[in-house]
Amino acid sequence: MADDNIIALTDVEKTFRDFWLRPTVKAVDGLSLTVRRGEVFGLLGPNGSGKSTTIKMILGLLAPTKGSVKLFGLSPRAIAARRKIGYLPELSYLHPFLTARETLGYYAGLCGLDRKTAKDRTAQLLKMVGLEDVAMRPVGGFSKGMARRVALAASLIGKPELLVLDEPTSGLDPVSTKEVKTLVKALKANGMTILTTSHLLADAEDICDRVMIVNHGKTVAEGNVGELGTSLEEFFLAKVGEANEFVLADFLS
Amino acid sequence: MLTVVAPVFHYHQFGEATRMARDSGLSALLTCGSALAVFATIRTFRREIESGTAEMALVHPVSRAGFFLAKTTGVGLAVLFFALIVGATMVTSVTGAAVGGHMAEKTGELARVWAPCVAAGLATLVLPLVIAAALNRFARYRFVLAAVRLALALSLLSVAVFSVLAGPHQLLRLLPPTLTLVSFVLFLVTIAASAAVRLRANAAVAATGAVVLAFLPFVGNYYLAEVLANGGALSWTYVAGATLALVPAVAAFLLLGVRLCREMD
Repeated sequence: MADDNIIALTDVEKTFRDFWLRPTVKAVDGLSLTVRRGEVFGLLGPNGSGKSTTIKMILGLLAPTKGSVKLFGLSPRAIAARRKIGYLPELSYLHPFLTARETLGYYAGLCGLDRKTAKDRTAQLLKMVGLEDVAMRPVGGFSKGMARRVALAASLIGKPELLVLDEPTSGLDPVSTKEVKTLVKALKANGMTILTTSHLLADAEDICDRVMIVNHGKTVAEGNVGELGTSLEEFFLAKVGEANEFVLADFLS
Repeated sequence: MLTVVAPVFHYHQFGEATRMARDSGLSALLTCGSALAVFATIRTFRREIESGTAEMALVHPVSRAGFFLAKTTGVGLAVLFFALIVGATMVTSVTGAAVGGHMAEKTGELARVWAPCVAAGLATLVLPLVIAAALNRFARYRFVLAAVRLALALSLLSVAVFSVLAGPHQLLRLLPPTLTLVSFVLFLVTIAASAAVRLRANAAVAATGAVVLAFLPFVGNYYLAEVLANGGALSWTYVAGATLALVPAVAAFLLLGVRLCREMD
């Protein structure tokens, strides 16, 4: 059902250009995907396959060169669409001089929350990510894992309907990784739609309902995790390996 | 610092203490204010863009125009704060030098006159930092926030005290050139902001410099010809005219910045 599509990309292309507007690289090439309400969708692919570019187009940070991107049926740059999303980038982009509490307060302000709601939700999220005791410390002094937890809390401050996670377990220890996976499952159980990318296929297999594998900006395969008939890792290697073998064979000939 | 210690020169019988305090204050406002406006604006924008925090802000329900205008306003307020501190120090020093000179002529005791003036000027600059450091050490207040608030309060207090002591004459004389220079410095903020959205730091500095060079005769009007040559005495009509002349240029650069920010990938 069209109304159930939270994200809809149709024949999207993205070509990056240099300062003189000369095309440099085609990062996404004719990609189409839909993410339905309430599902956990995994966008998987090797480094440089176009995953982050696709996510940035979905978030309205990049404009597609061709094709259409719809978020909640609107342009990704529409304020109404962005009220409903939370984003955890691959690297935790935080203001180093702000404390964890101030960081969440800042993002609460950007979400338009009133002071009381912001304060309550900040306290709740700091507790959830286990950073209550260091809430008054500047995040510049945090370890990578702690900064990741702050960024995760910041992505949830506006109670989003869609959570976009770019490599959510990157830089986390096994315990924290398990906590993130548990959190994702809990958020899904609460009806949140989640779009995630991951290099760790076992993690993706644990949390995703449906996956799409992309390589060189193109769709290689798409399907429900339970219907792949093999492990996600084997499936992934088979699909991406095929493409790479093709390139290798082409080179050798 | 030169503005603060200028009254000392009176002790050495240079006879130009008031003028030196005023000219060094106005020079600091234009040169340091311009440098602060250009570098702080470009650094603020580039750091946000290159560190990814701009990206984080833009995925929230904030329009790109709103983001650009809010950041530009923020830097503009920081520049205004700097101008207020320098302006207050200048008013304190000039007024103190004038009062001191007047009293010295009557009493002949120069040393006892300039010392409190210098002490007051130095206190305006140094005291907020010392108190903020103490608050940070003992009460865990944020140093920068405490220093900014204290500096603002002390600046306004010193201007008020010295204006009462010496009458509003010096304040009213210094206000027109100060406002004229501040409006020019704020104009630089808008140029630097629009350049920083599209260009890397060095290129943005070069572009801002190029625009300023193109405006150079105009800049001459703002500073050398009108302010110094006329001894700091400007009519309010000139101030209003100069500020109004900047309005379309400021608007043009803000619109350019908003447009570049919307197109930014």
